Amino acid sequence: MKEPLLGSFKAKPEPGEHRLGPIQEIHVPMRKYSQDEEVDFCIVGVGSAGGVLLQRLARAGFRVVGLEAGPFWNTERDWVSDEAGSYKLYWNDLRITGGKNPLALGANNSGHGVGGGSVHWAGFTPRFHPSDFRVCSRDGVGVDWPISYWDLKPYYALLEKEMPVAGPAYYPWGDPHGYTYGPHPTAGVSNVLVNGCTRLGIGVSIGGPVAINSGSHADRPHCIYRGFCIQGCKVGAKQSTLVSHVPDAINYGAEIRDNCMVSRIEMGPQGRVTGVTYYDPDKKEARQKARVVIVCGYAIETPRLLLNSACPGWEQGLANSSGTVGKYLMAQAGNVVMGRFDELIRMYKGPPANSLTEEFYETDPKHDFARGFAVQTVGPLPIAFAKQMMVAKGAWGWGLRRVMMDYNHWAPLGVLGEILPWEDNTVTLAEEKDQFGLPVARVTFNLHDNDRKLINFATKKVEDILIAAGAREVVQEQRYAHLVGACRMGSDPKTSVVDGFGQSHDIPNLFVCDGSILPTQGSANPGLTIQALAARTADYLISERENILEGRPFSRISPPVRHDLSPEGTSGRGVPRLKGTALKVK
Amino acid sequence: MSAADFNPNPIPEQGVYSSAVAPAKEPGPTSAGNKLKSNRIDGIIRPATFEEPGTDDEGPVENLPVDVKIGQPLKSRAQPGYYPGYNTLSQQKFWDEATRKVVLSRVNEVPPIRFFTPPEHKLMLAICARLLPQDDRDKEHKIPIVNYIDDRLYHDRIEGYRFEDMPPDREAHRLGLEAIEAIAHKMYGHSFVKLGPLEQEQVLQTIHDGNPPAGEEIWQRMSVVRYWTLLMQDAIEAYYAHPYAWDEIGFGGPAYPRGYLRQQNGMAEPWEKDEQPYPWNAPPGSPSAGYKPLGGASGKQTPVGQEGTH
Repeated sequence: MKEPLLGSFKAKPEPGEHRLGPIQEIHVPMRKYSQDEEVDFCIVGVGSAGGVLLQRLARAGFRVVGLEAGPFWNTERDWVSDEAGSYKLYWNDLRITGGKNPLALGANNSGHGVGGGSVHWAGFTPRFHPSDFRVCSRDGVGVDWPISYWDLKPYYALLEKEMPVAGPAYYPWGDPHGYTYGPHPTAGVSNVLVNGCTRLGIGVSIGGPVAINSGSHADRPHCIYRGFCIQGCKVGAKQSTLVSHVPDAINYGAEIRDNCMVSRIEMGPQGRVTGVTYYDPDKKEARQKARVVIVCGYAIETPRLLLNSACPGWEQGLANSSGTVGKYLMAQAGNVVMGRFDELIRMYKGPPANSLTEEFYETDPKHDFARGFAVQTVGPLPIAFAKQMMVAKGAWGWGLRRVMMDYNHWAPLGVLGEILPWEDNTVTLAEEKDQFGLPVARVTFNLHDNDRKLINFATKKVEDILIAAGAREVVQEQRYAHLVGACRMGSDPKTSVVDGFGQSHDIPNLFVCDGSILPTQGSANPGLTIQALAARTADYLISERENILEGRPFSRISPPVRHDLSPEGTSGRGVPRLKGTALKVK
Repeated sequence: MSAADFNPNPIPEQGVYSSAVAPAKEPGPTSAGNKLKSNRIDGIIRPATFEEPGTDDEGPVENLPVDVKIGQPLKSRAQPGYYPGYNTLSQQKFWDEATRKVVLSRVNEVPPIRFFTPPEHKLMLAICARLLPQDDRDKEHKIPIVNYIDDRLYHDRIEGYRFEDMPPDREAHRLGLEAIEAIAHKMYGHSFVKLGPLEQEQVLQTIHDGNPPAGEEIWQRMSVVRYWTLLMQDAIEAYYAHPYAWDEIGFGGPAYPRGYLRQQNGMAEPWEKDEQPYPWNAPPGSPSAGYKPLGGASGKQTPVGQEGTH
């Protein structure tokens, strides 16, 4: 076929159109609040958590403004099906990284723009296991959460339908459950994981759970298997809050101000915050008054903002009487193990996130380390794969040219291993300043003994899987994924920043809701948990409506689950084989 | 430099420079004049300058890989790699407009050199010709790696972070050029651009191995292995972003809105090609063909991966 049947593809938006994917469109004029008007909620960062909060709170009738440092993507115009051209999706402002095992930041982590990191995540959406919430009681490591799996479970089930998540009808690990939307077909790399695991008798989940449409869902199309998930899904099949929650939020009267960088949270009298100061798109200082401020800036920008907001009475930074703001930062071990096969794999086809095993997730008394890991499919495109080969094989020059000519013969698998929370893994302020004159974040990261043992074991296990699948050569590179922690939740105000609802122990009308509040991280990708926590915090805030409006103390009572606040098309869908789940959910 | 000067000896153990591989020439007064000098004022690095070596420019030296079947140098070709006739650019009508614009501009509007000074540019060309050698590509299809690196540095586009043991990227690149020049002089008594391809590879291999024999003062200001990864990443981002490289390795290229249908058994889509591998070897004695551990055999300096995958 030399010519497209219907002529060259044209979906470029006309002036004034705001397109998300080829079908979805934002056509409602966005409500605008004046800066002098005190809104109910000001949300700092419209990413994974911020997008869900904005949507829930707007639907519940609150006046909500979301401030986002990056742009409000018009995806048909702004995104490209090209690896190097997707540079602008990431947080590219300067950060300093150090410690004994410095983390690579940039493309690896937080996003920049409405949808945040969910724009460039691969889309794996496993739940945390019940054990993750009690690792100190069970395994004597890390710390327990102030909430349990069962507090979060209804929100997992809800978000899995809102995103929605595609996966098998029966998922055996953690709290066994099933998925409403069918799993995806496999491609080259997932076949390798499935073959290797099956030959070794390791259970494997095929074709999900991933937040990628396996069939069309409302105004979002199904996946076309082009493999550019972490470059932003132009199709609109992969969930980001940009396509799943933000359009609904705008329909219900939320305002999003993009290209607005919040520089500080303002403290008022009586130990309450009064709003935020930010730089508008013209880099002029502006203010927004709010009854409640919710910080959703992720594991680096959230502690940075709290520290940069230091003021008389809060010299250590806002909400930091415990001294734990910026401490207990975590990343997951994300080693990539690559196997070369005689046959062609073509790793670029299909979403990188497809199949996984959580067979090694829990603490095993036979191991010399606590907690565990998952093994997942990945699918680096040529630039990413060449960089991996530079590290994994020491490739350069003719050696790099040669191994890259074999790009289509390699299958990479990712370790996702739990690294425990350590006090010396931190986010602090550096001397360097950003374009607004604000001190940038300094990230310090060190591996500890348990982490190293876990990584060594996990890497060897993945090598076994690749060899069982028929790999002739296996190499690996060490890396990390998924920053979380640094503003952790807990029951004790002396050792944590916020409570189980994300409410600051110190300042009652200041909330934090994003990956930074995670006290431990399991070995599941955190995206689903972050969005589920946001839905729970939203329900709590909605149930506290009177206290918020009157400025009274909050009740700290667990709220009822609000099934009626989901975006349209969520309810009435069931899970095959698990009748009970379908009945329980409205 | 002619092909006869190539040293066919095996790669030395890292950190060991046998006299057979590194002809010990004392840097004489004339060659010292070629040294890249940076003007440091108040600790700030200014663009480096070095005295032009004269007019003895011979052009690039042929450094072709070997066709294993016939034992002769491979002819340079429009499209190296195992997918002859595969052409991602031929599919551009199937791409979306935004993507087409970005990719075509990369190919057709090569950015000018604005960051590197002329001597730095010349040195950088020689370095990148070894980091990602293109001797097997014909002149019309070489990928202008240095122009894309220059463009990044000119616009000071950073990746969102800097290691605490590294200076800013612009400064790191300038310091690195100075160090590479110093190593070339120390090992061979000549400017890097004057060395043969294998000697140039030997110079670069010392940085890859985390064991450079010169530039001590520079390496106190930045980590050797992190500089190597910075340099390699920049070269990789330029080369493997180019459609010619996609054709070489059989990557599908932009795939929206068409997507893929044949996901099983490595099958080619109707517009893709099946693999037709040919056996080849790197030029004899090429150190970069040897896959030595990054940062040396101890593994102590191995950096972490930089790229997001999951």
